[in-house]
Amino acid sequence: MSLDERRLYKARKLGLGLGLVKGLAVTLKHLFKHNTVIQYPEEKQDLGPRTRGVIALKEENCTVCMLCARECPDWCIYIDSHKETLPPKREGGRPRKRNVLDRFAIDYALCMYCGICVEVCPYDALFWSREFEYAEYDIRELTHEKERLSDWMSTVLPPPPLDEGAEQPGRPAPLVAANGGPAAIAAETPAAPAAIAPAAAPEAPAAKPAAGATTPASAPTMAPEGAGEVDQDRLPPAPSPTTEAPAPEAEAPALTPEDKAAFTEQPGPNVEVPHEEPHPISLEPTEDAEAVYRSVLEEQKAKGSSPQVAEARARVARAKAERGIQRGPTPLAVDKPVPSAPTKGHTEPEPSGAPDAEAPRPDPGPVAPTPTEAEAAPPTEAPADGSSETPDQVYERVLADEKAKGSSDAVATGRAKAARVKAERAQGKS
Amino acid sequence: MEITLTDWQLLLVKLAVILAVVPTLTLVAGYAEHKVMAHLQHRLGPMYPGGFHGWAILLADGLKFIYKEDIIPAAADKRVFKLAPIAIFIPAVMVYLVIPLDRTLIVEDLDVGVFYLLAISSVSTIGVLMAGWSSANKYALIGALRAGAQLIAYELPIVLSAAVIVMLAGTMSLVGIVEAQPWPFILWPPGIGLIAFLVFMGASVAELTRPPFDMPVAESEIITGAFTEYSGMRFIFGFFFAEVANMVAFAAIGATLFLGGFNPIVPWSPLDAIPGFVWFVLKASFLLFVFLWIRPTFPRLREDQLQKFAWKFLIPVSLVLILAAGAWVLYAPEALKP
Repeated sequence: MSLDERRLYKARKLGLGLGLVKGLAVTLKHLFKHNTVIQYPEEKQDLGPRTRGVIALKEENCTVCMLCARECPDWCIYIDSHKETLPPKREGGRPRKRNVLDRFAIDYALCMYCGICVEVCPYDALFWSREFEYAEYDIRELTHEKERLSDWMSTVLPPPPLDEGAEQPGRPAPLVAANGGPAAIAAETPAAPAAIAPAAAPEAPAAKPAAGATTPASAPTMAPEGAGEVDQDRLPPAPSPTTEAPAPEAEAPALTPEDKAAFTEQPGPNVEVPHEEPHPISLEPTEDAEAVYRSVLEEQKAKGSSPQVAEARARVARAKAERGIQRGPTPLAVDKPVPSAPTKGHTEPEPSGAPDAEAPRPDPGPVAPTPTEAEAAPPTEAPADGSSETPDQVYERVLADEKAKGSSDAVATGRAKAARVKAERAQGKS
Repeated sequence: MEITLTDWQLLLVKLAVILAVVPTLTLVAGYAEHKVMAHLQHRLGPMYPGGFHGWAILLADGLKFIYKEDIIPAAADKRVFKLAPIAIFIPAVMVYLVIPLDRTLIVEDLDVGVFYLLAISSVSTIGVLMAGWSSANKYALIGALRAGAQLIAYELPIVLSAAVIVMLAGTMSLVGIVEAQPWPFILWPPGIGLIAFLVFMGASVAELTRPPFDMPVAESEIITGAFTEYSGMRFIFGFFFAEVANMVAFAAIGATLFLGGFNPIVPWSPLDAIPGFVWFVLKASFLLFVFLWIRPTFPRLREDQLQKFAWKFLIPVSLVLILAAGAWVLYAPEALKP
């Protein structure tokens, strides 16, 4: 008999059944505790915000990319779609294609609620909802078609607030008209627009986006413009005069429903949807750049930002201020009367002349439809509207322009050709 | 106006009263069992049948059992099989004949009341054995034999502890016993009454085959023991109804023998205004609650532990108690006796 056993034996001998009394006391205590039962149909539990009840579909966000259906381990997502060809957005553009969602169904009899579809959806079209009361008498009824899945959207909770100190998610870069189309998307990635650094600026003040696109590797350490844009509402107003034209509140994040709507509607008039008129911002630098830097730094420190953050923001502000000084009024004046907003980054800052692939094609291709783009189509290539130039004349003119600007031969020829094609098309139409 | 009844009429009235009261009490106690056990376990128990806190749950249950098919195994000894629930059910009702709700509120104040009680409550064992043997089922047989062994083992402590009370009261009439009990009921004579009460309660739980002494119907081992093959009405009357009715009866017997029955809990004259049956019901309800309280508290014992507990502990203790009670009756100074 081990020591423990002996002790136990002794305790039992001496206990005289007191353990039984103790047990009775325990159960009696629980008699007076509040019960934990939730009387389900009458009472409902407050489920956690991330409860996996049912998957809701935000139909307008779906691009039929099929990622969810392919990732689904149960293969319980059924998607049908067809392609639609839309007329070009503006004169001479290419007709565009887009996917139209015909059917989106989730078979909840198969679904195992792993949530992978919600995870993989790149366009925020699928969400978890807390609703769970959709049992059916017939298993076929458990296949929810897109109408029913869309109905669940009304039950989706807003995303929970970020944790204390969490990194703020970047707002998608604005579809900056004045920046020139091609760079607008690139601006989402931090490195791209960094070329606005003072170092690069003097060379080609107006060419910043293109330069950014071409020289990402050489991006200076300065905080990227994209981040600067994002932070704008937190920044003091001082640097704002020098920021890019579309103020943050004026733009819609890429691929929001409205944006998509803008894409999908008729080409011409859609342009007024996502963007307001760019604010006519006074372009005179109100302060000198160093003063901006210092004031922003002070302000950030006062707000309690970490030194790094404060410094980065201050540098962004300074850079913007400098840019404003150097550039002068031109690039930002996207007001309609100034259609010649220089070249939307078409100029080639690199004298190397190498046929760089990144150089924006004259093709209007940019992702962002903006008023300026639509109305004041690339000024270098198409003053054709209304003029009596023949396409060949256009070609010559553009070629001369480009060369005068210092573009490489290849680029100059390419743009000139594109301009000619456009002119031809325009002629053909008229 | 004086009502005169012949003996036969009186008998019929009494029978009707018993047949009305016993099932009602059983239903109330069964409902209490559902609810008390549920709340001891942080549950609510039945909440829907009947609307208010599920009061009609047992009526619904009974209705369900009535509609169920009455299955008799092909190999069963059919006559015995059919008789067994009756043999269990009738003693459970007959126990109530001698329990005094009040000084005069009693069906039949027998001179040999305690003797009758103990005899009748043992008869149901025969019913259980009948059920087990006639079912042609090994679980039923094992369960019946367990029940037989257990009821014999625990009948002894009950009888002996009741005998202690009878010796102290000097009568076997239940009314007489209640009236003979001095005030601090089980606390007087010191020690003897209390220990006799504990022995009686422990043995009663075993006698009722309720947890932790429910080996005869241990569902994890032998399904429902002797009642494995029963279904429908036979099951409900032979098994469930009899168990609950017996539980109420034992609570009532305990209240009568040990807790002073229909006497007020303290001898204080204003309390005499409250009718005796109220006191009796209160005391019996308390003991009933103890039975219900024990059930979810303790885990089931092993068969050999059960037998050991009876033969090696309870029976010796009650034998010693009888000696002590005899010594008290013979040698205690008269001043200490009521």
